[in-house]
Amino acid sequence: MIEKLAIVWPEIILFATTCVVMLTGQWPVCAVRRMTPWLAAVGLIAAIGAAMASPPSDGLYPDLVPYAKSLVGIMGLMILPLLAGTVDRELEAGVARGERFEPLRSNGAEFYAFFLFSLTGLMLVASSDTLIWLFLALELTSLPTYMMVTLSSRSTRAHEAGVKYFFLGALGAAIFLYGFTLLYGATGSVNIPTIAAHFAEHGLGPIGLAGVLISLIGLFFKIAAVPMHFYTPDVYQGAASPVSAMLAFVPKMAGFMAIFMIVGSAGWGPDGTGLPVPVEALLWVVAAMTMTVGNVLALLQSSVKRMMAYSSIAHSGYMLVGVIAGPGGDGASFWRNGLAAVLFYLLCYGVMNLGVFAVLASLERKGQEADDIDDIRGLVRTHPPLGWSMVICCLALLGFPPLLGFIGKVGLITSGITSGHLALVIILAINSAIAALYYLRLVAAVYLEPASDTGFRPSRYGSRQVAALVSAGGVLVLLLMSNRLITAADDASRYAPVAPETAPYAEAGANN
Amino acid sequence: MIADLLTTPALSMSTDAASLSVGTGPSWVLLIPFLALLGAALCGVYAALGVKTKAPAWTIVALLAASFAATVAMWLGFDGNPYTVKAFDWIQVRWGEGTGAAAFIANFSFYVDTLTIYWMLFVTGLATLIALYASEYMSHDVGTGYSRFFAAFSLFVFSMACLVMGDNFIMLYLGWEGVGLCSYLLIGYFYKKPSAVAAAKKAFIVNRIGDLGLALGIYLIFVHFGTVEFAALFADAKLQGYLEAAKVGNFDDIPAMAKAIPLLLMVGAFGKSAQFPLYVWLPDAMEGPTPVSALIHAATMVTAGVYLIARTYPLFLTSEIALPIVAWIGTITALLAATIGMAQFDIKRIMAYSTVSQLGYMFAGLGVLTPTGAAYHTLTHAFFKALLFLCCGAVMHGFAGQLDLRKLSGLRKVPGWRWVTIGMLVGCLNLAGFPITAGYFSKDTILAEAFVTPGASVIGFLLLLTAGLTAYYTFRVFFRVFMGPVHYEAGEEGHDHEHHDDHAHDTPGHHGDHESEPHSVESEPASQGPEHTSSEEKHFAKHSPAPDKAKQHEFHPHAPGWAINAVLITLTALSVLASGLYFVGGNKDLHTKHYAGTMIAQSTAAYDTPYDKYAFKGEHAVAQPGVGPRGVIAEPLTMPIIGGDPHKMMYFVSGVIGLVGIALAWWLHLAGRTTAAECRMDKVARMFGPIPKWAEHKWYVDEFYHAVFRMPLVIVSHLSHWFDKLVIDGLVNLFGLLPRVLGGLIRPSQSGALQGYAAGMIGGAAVLLLVVLLIAARIGGAA
Amino acid sequence: MTTLAYADPSPYLPIFFMILAAIGFAVLNIAGSFILGPKRLGDRKGETYESGMTPIGTARKRFNVRFYLIAMVFLVFDVEIIFLYPWAATYTLLDPGSEQSLVWLGRILFFLFTTVVAYLYGYRKGVFKFD
Repeated sequence: MIEKLAIVWPEIILFATTCVVMLTGQWPVCAVRRMTPWLAAVGLIAAIGAAMASPPSDGLYPDLVPYAKSLVGIMGLMILPLLAGTVDRELEAGVARGERFEPLRSNGAEFYAFFLFSLTGLMLVASSDTLIWLFLALELTSLPTYMMVTLSSRSTRAHEAGVKYFFLGALGAAIFLYGFTLLYGATGSVNIPTIAAHFAEHGLGPIGLAGVLISLIGLFFKIAAVPMHFYTPDVYQGAASPVSAMLAFVPKMAGFMAIFMIVGSAGWGPDGTGLPVPVEALLWVVAAMTMTVGNVLALLQSSVKRMMAYSSIAHSGYMLVGVIAGPGGDGASFWRNGLAAVLFYLLCYGVMNLGVFAVLASLERKGQEADDIDDIRGLVRTHPPLGWSMVICCLALLGFPPLLGFIGKVGLITSGITSGHLALVIILAINSAIAALYYLRLVAAVYLEPASDTGFRPSRYGSRQVAALVSAGGVLVLLLMSNRLITAADDASRYAPVAPETAPYAEAGANN
Repeated sequence: MIADLLTTPALSMSTDAASLSVGTGPSWVLLIPFLALLGAALCGVYAALGVKTKAPAWTIVALLAASFAATVAMWLGFDGNPYTVKAFDWIQVRWGEGTGAAAFIANFSFYVDTLTIYWMLFVTGLATLIALYASEYMSHDVGTGYSRFFAAFSLFVFSMACLVMGDNFIMLYLGWEGVGLCSYLLIGYFYKKPSAVAAAKKAFIVNRIGDLGLALGIYLIFVHFGTVEFAALFADAKLQGYLEAAKVGNFDDIPAMAKAIPLLLMVGAFGKSAQFPLYVWLPDAMEGPTPVSALIHAATMVTAGVYLIARTYPLFLTSEIALPIVAWIGTITALLAATIGMAQFDIKRIMAYSTVSQLGYMFAGLGVLTPTGAAYHTLTHAFFKALLFLCCGAVMHGFAGQLDLRKLSGLRKVPGWRWVTIGMLVGCLNLAGFPITAGYFSKDTILAEAFVTPGASVIGFLLLLTAGLTAYYTFRVFFRVFMGPVHYEAGEEGHDHEHHDDHAHDTPGHHGDHESEPHSVESEPASQGPEHTSSEEKHFAKHSPAPDKAKQHEFHPHAPGWAINAVLITLTALSVLASGLYFVGGNKDLHTKHYAGTMIAQSTAAYDTPYDKYAFKGEHAVAQPGVGPRGVIAEPLTMPIIGGDPHKMMYFVSGVIGLVGIALAWWLHLAGRTTAAECRMDKVARMFGPIPKWAEHKWYVDEFYHAVFRMPLVIVSHLSHWFDKLVIDGLVNLFGLLPRVLGGLIRPSQSGALQGYAAGMIGGAAVLLLVVLLIAARIGGAA
Repeated sequence: MTTLAYADPSPYLPIFFMILAAIGFAVLNIAGSFILGPKRLGDRKGETYESGMTPIGTARKRFNVRFYLIAMVFLVFDVEIIFLYPWAATYTLLDPGSEQSLVWLGRILFFLFTTVVAYLYGYRKGVFKFD
């Protein structure tokens, strides 16, 4: 039992960092407070280091841990500079004027602590091997984000978004928790490999099927897939851009890893095409609807954040294609391995999407962040680094060859085709074309249209611009490294359902 | 000594290029492309720092010179065996196991053989010289566009190096697109001038058509041969089998897919090298700064098509129709462009059409199985065409953008223009194929082979006719602009530095004021003959200090400075010396007679298939004794008309034709000229009716393209627009409406959005589950 | 692929009954209190409290934020007790020399550590400063 600690070292490190951050963030000495993000960064770096050395887990995807946790750490590091100046702006300004620091009024400690908590939860999702662990990890990922949304801005919009997000999130959690109980009821175990083994031996059965389907529907909330997507635009728009950037990645990654585990317990069969028909039908219908609804609604938006929210929905739809394609049996290449494609795409999407939000977060007018498409018109001329970051990230999101999004999408498309889901891939292709319309609208606004003075100036929190540039640079660097990353994703997606007798904790699970 | 230098050592090689071992070369070879890339990066830094000096130019000149030095070192150190140098792993995708294992490998690595060296020598050499020239030429823009120009210039050299040196088709494609991009950036350098932007777009779009062919060709190569790496492709057993089959004329055994590859590749080559019907972009590309025209649109980039075909020559040999098509397209282009060139008045455009025409010669050379001739002509053309362009550029620079040959005359006698005149004369002699010039020898190589190749003699005659036309229009320019009475009118661009501070190209309205009346400095009227030189100096002494009338109306051409002159002198010397290459560097083991032949014979462009196997005009398999491998003429063949060895005969025939063309130009444009504007040409032109008019309008090809390609597109786009408006927007609106309608149905009594969302989620989930179970019941029941 | 009679609804009966029972329970309770509860209406009944003081002012008064914070700190310690008690009750059953006892000890220590952090956090936040 104590051996299990070996795979949660990154989480332990992050948790310890959180404890420290929670205290330093409200320290009366200004210099100590300023150190807080740096401490968080150190913790994240240490966690990445621990993640890379992580042994295989006992879950369905033994090698997922190093890839997923390093990815979480790296994305955390990229989001971190963006968070600067999100909370405590007036308070710190007051302190700078000589007012007394009041810990009760400050939110800095909580904000960074919640951020790290959420990432800790996300890492725990990757290493989870039982349903209880998975549920708790998912909740640990989500709960801090509800509060981050509320804290992120003083506007009532943010509060409204936070409340909406919380209630709907609770609803989603209730749904997948119900699914989990049905899974337990069907198999008598909460251990995911044991459940998988049970299903492999006895078939899914009605209760098991209901469990899988309902769990998936609940988890669709996390990835913002139809019909659980309603909250996305309101929340993304209500929250401050740095938090929106985080929301577009963290819950999505958690959701996809959980979906991997639930779908994996139902199993793709030995040749990788035998996903039980209702599960496949559910994923198929949801994937098609998610992409279409997301892209079509994104077309109508004039708020960039809402547009990105709908595009986030659409990207979830793309990635579901990879889930349907599955790992593709033994020795399948990256072009067949849909899970690897999803893992790789998550990384791509995280970086590209972060860039867009970072650009929005870097532009301010009287403390307000840019949001409307008019706010960023002619950005390439007025603020070239930000403008070009926007152009690069939008083109990458669009999947413009040979940029990053294109390579990511190629994996999804080829795995979809080779697993025989041509119709779905055609829908994906059509949707990519629709997506081009609004991404190019963004690119055109930034690059082609003449600049008009909208009053937006680069934020005085320069680290936000750094985040934008790092994302845009990341898009290019990852492109060069894509070869290695694809291999890593391919290794990480090794799907290893074990026979019931060798499944660890089978007894313990059954007795729970 | 020079001959030793020109002979590449250690030629102990077999006739089969593919059997060469491909080793790994020294990594300093990487300096050649990456120094250029470094230059581009540094210029970016200069631009960011807002450098207001000529530092970008000197940086680029130094780095390109170093790159050239590395190229020379690469050449001297080459031992006859091709090698690759890897910069880094790029694309390595492997899949499958055991016998099904396959891989797509395209590293960022470079392949060096004699063809690479041959091309890189003149690419980097000319780039260095032209960068030096541009340092002065672009001095108007110091501080504004100067860094941008040199960044794109250097990036071009990097891209060209990737194109020529890449060891796989993906690198080649990268370079191909890279040079296209740089060409686009540089044609559109004066991006506030609408015609420049239009020309840049035209070049880009026309090139895309060709690039599609190239991309499909590369795709087919991978699908058919399973590799995109040159070394692996040319060693491929399948390809060797096809070549064996082609050697005995057994083309039926070669699958259609393999035969389609060269057809697709040549489309790419036609686009990049401005061949019919994709040549229309090149003349418009002259909107770019002249150094760009000289380097990119005359000497290097446009020869990429020639390089592509030379590099993939074995693939072209596997199709009986590919090379004849290349030959015919080249010939048609050569002739068509020459006729257009005869009727143009803008000297830079004339040079552009002559470039198109000369590229046609190179393609014809490739088509009639003399890649040697094509490569030699590429080299000589690079020198003399760059020289001609730079001379035109000097004129343009000195006369405020004036390029109309009707408004310039007698520059020979204007002080300070001696080197330009000499350079222009040498360039024109080369282009016209005046005996013993380099252009003469290289053109003869192609012409002779056209007559040797069975069935291609029509091509030979058309090319001879073109040679005559070329000589005529070349000297039309020379006699008009450099000879005759002194007369010039300033162009429409600002000519003085003080007027130039704020980037005169940007504001068309800005220079109208001081150049509104083109000032004519024509020496007294018609009575003065063309040979009137005695009062030249006096005339200038009288006119150059501005008379007391408004000073800004006086126009002073400013003669080129030292950088331009130095480059012109160097290029003049190189153009003269290039004819020497015809006599040195031959290799007995390879049966080659000169340097270009030696370089080509050791590369993948070497071929091993008799002529008579290719379908020229359907004359199939006519036995031609004495035509051996590698184009070596073992026994003299005879010319169709005169008889005798075609190579020797051609010296006389083409020499005479060139002289006739020059004489015609002299008669029409110099001897018969009374004033600068009037000449006998007008009377002659009238005899041809509307034909000269048509030629002046470029045979209305642009208008034809507009009508045939653009109009349907415009119509289709209008239709799509309406379709978009009515159907797509309708659908979009429908989709936008759908959630609201659905939501309205699901939440009959809702007071806030939150409950609505929750109801939507639960309702959606319920509907979804129902749908899924119904689907599953249908499919699962059947399964 | 395993063939399942997905169209056959009978195995879902238990779920159906469970949902029915859940709804039934809620309906029963509300309906029960509605039916069984005495309904006496009048001025007196309508007041906030049937007896005692008449409330003055609005009920939507803003409390000092510390009120909530203290409530939450109380919750931390409250939950701690709930967790500590069963742990203490079962810990004695473990073999004292075994590795498992160490793991159990470690678990509770970790739990206590988190409470300490929470306490420290609250302390720094100034929750325990009453002024």
